[in-house]
Amino acid sequence: MNLLLRGPIECGGRAEGGFRTKPNGVRTVERSARKVLVVDDEPALIEVLAGYLEGEGFTVVRAADGPGAVAAFEAEQPDLVLLDLSLPVFPGTEVLRRIRALRDVPVIMLTARTDEIDRVLGLELGADDYVGKPFSPRELVARVKTVLRRSERPTVSTGRQRRVGDVVIDATAHEVRVAGKPVTLTPTQFKLLDILAEHVGQTLTREQLLDRLSTDADVFDRTLDRHIANLRARIERDPANPRYVVTVFGVGYKMVEPR
Amino acid sequence: MSQRLHDVRNHLAVAVANVEAFRDGILEPTPERLEVVLRALAQADALLPQLGETENRGHTPAAP
Repeated sequence: MNLLLRGPIECGGRAEGGFRTKPNGVRTVERSARKVLVVDDEPALIEVLAGYLEGEGFTVVRAADGPGAVAAFEAEQPDLVLLDLSLPVFPGTEVLRRIRALRDVPVIMLTARTDEIDRVLGLELGADDYVGKPFSPRELVARVKTVLRRSERPTVSTGRQRRVGDVVIDATAHEVRVAGKPVTLTPTQFKLLDILAEHVGQTLTREQLLDRLSTDADVFDRTLDRHIANLRARIERDPANPRYVVTVFGVGYKMVEPR
Repeated sequence: MSQRLHDVRNHLAVAVANVEAFRDGILEPTPERLEVVLRALAQADALLPQLGETENRGHTPAAP
């Protein structure tokens, strides 16, 4: 595959609803190729991301605004979405809300706004990860692979419940209840809680947690803290003084039976 | 966070991503693409004075 001779893309987003059926109109044998929807209003950035992703064997679908992203999502059924937060017509947060209502597909947000990260990763929007702008495209592609690997791993456990204090985790129904009340968690938060609950009273290092989340440690290090904070916000009465998910300073986290 | 800071980061993102792509042999550094990078850097640069103003407003020393 000759990566150097790829010509400039036409980013058809603005004019025609933001997606093209196939790059170059080629229908290839890559039936199993993972498809990534890349949404950004900056064509020069999409071009770079498409170059890296296609170099890794991904099929790339492009969109440049909110409505185009939703239309492309419906038409192309991507396996993962790279989604810029600020888009013309309506923002990435609204795109995320709409596509989440359609299908559960991993979404990595691209954002220049660090003040939005908590909201983006949190329950309200529940993106799987975020990448702050400016970013290294190579690192971003590594994250794409990691997030895909994580989401494609089948859930092994069925028919089991874990209980820690008032927190009940039902892996079959993918439900969490705190004092009888259902709590909604993102897939990552759920998995994190499940791992912690499996080892009640035992400190899990950041490394172990990242490993069990099947993520890339270097890449996800800071994201882990965010996910822990968001998880606490969902299950703790006072997230600032957690009773269930406690920090073991300098080591990691552990889940404990509250006294 | 200020919209301008956000804009600066967006312009830098374009520049950084393109230069990395040149380095990694993903895209060819054509004159057009180099122009895109230069324009992005110039746009970021043009926003810097406004950022400075915003910063300083919060830290004005008391009048003597």
